[in-house]
Amino acid sequence: MSEVPGSTASTGSGAPWAAAAAAFTRWREGEGEGLEDLVRLLSPVLWQVVRATGLDRERAEDVVQTTWIALVDHADSIASPQAISAWLCTSARREAWRAGRHASRERPVEDQVLAYGLPDHESPEEQVILEDEAEALRRALGKLPERCQKLLRIVAAGPRPNYQDVASTLDMPVGSIGPTRGRCLDKLRHELTLAGGIR
Amino acid sequence: MTDTTGAPRSDDELLDEVAHLWTKLDPPPADLADGVLARLAAQDLEYELLTLVESDQAAAGVRSATLQRAPDETGTWSLEYLGPGFRVQLRVSRRGRQARLDGWVSPPQPMTVMLSSVLRKGGVLEAQVSDSGRFEFPVAPAGACRMTFVTETGGRPQATPPFWI
Repeated sequence: MSEVPGSTASTGSGAPWAAAAAAFTRWREGEGEGLEDLVRLLSPVLWQVVRATGLDRERAEDVVQTTWIALVDHADSIASPQAISAWLCTSARREAWRAGRHASRERPVEDQVLAYGLPDHESPEEQVILEDEAEALRRALGKLPERCQKLLRIVAAGPRPNYQDVASTLDMPVGSIGPTRGRCLDKLRHELTLAGGIR
Repeated sequence: MTDTTGAPRSDDELLDEVAHLWTKLDPPPADLADGVLARLAAQDLEYELLTLVESDQAAAGVRSATLQRAPDETGTWSLEYLGPGFRVQLRVSRRGRQARLDGWVSPPQPMTVMLSSVLRKGGVLEAQVSDSGRFEFPVAPAGACRMTFVTETGGRPQATPPFWI
């Protein structure tokens, strides 16, 4: 995905983790703008982390806000600036999971399952016009079993690895996340290869 | 390595692409971070929060002084906050996009008052409380603001919850 340099939700060189650690340090040293910078850097990442759990947009926004409030309350417990991104993503995922359990009592199960799927009817994503590469990836993802789609979206969002959280979100044993992730990625590669062969 | 025709890619590269795809398919609301900052500003952070004890328009049932105002709204409204050992009365006067803010601290005590916009960076205005307890901001920013009081004796600054000018 080279068309946008510095893509934010990645582990690559464009990832915001280093900048987040620096902003967190500035905030801890008393510079208020450090927190604002941190919020602007990582809120989009937290959004992806939370949405990946299947939460609707409104609840997702609320969970992102709650996560930041938790940070302000618990900033002292974060061991090192390098841990800030992982801490926030883990908190967001847990809060989303909690909110999702609460929400699932309020709406039918089918809705929740659909919300994970591709395409998602409540998001604007069907109207999104993608470049060829991204479109190919979207199509390939859409051909995977739903569980794989969910798992890959969750694993992809935020710093890696986060198997413990993924395990609780998907209600799977921790030990099976790595192998399942591997199988899902292999299936994705296979679909991409098939698509490439047809083109 | 961004060849989508099936060339082998590492797990991390592929996951980066999945993550990036989702940022396109499901972008966050444009004001996500602003909403977070507003919510944080409403929390008690490094300062002690003053309590809003009176707001004339809210009392009159017209409109809460803590709500957003139309950009060209004209009028005068007052707010009163209670802190530990002092009371602050504020009078906001707005004519179109111009606003001024007058305040009284009782009992009078030497303090520095800071007026800041909640969402916009920088632009913190400062005023001193006079011997009679008065202070003023002849040109106040519009939008969500908060006021912070710092006493000369030290201690935690006292801040109002955000209010709209």
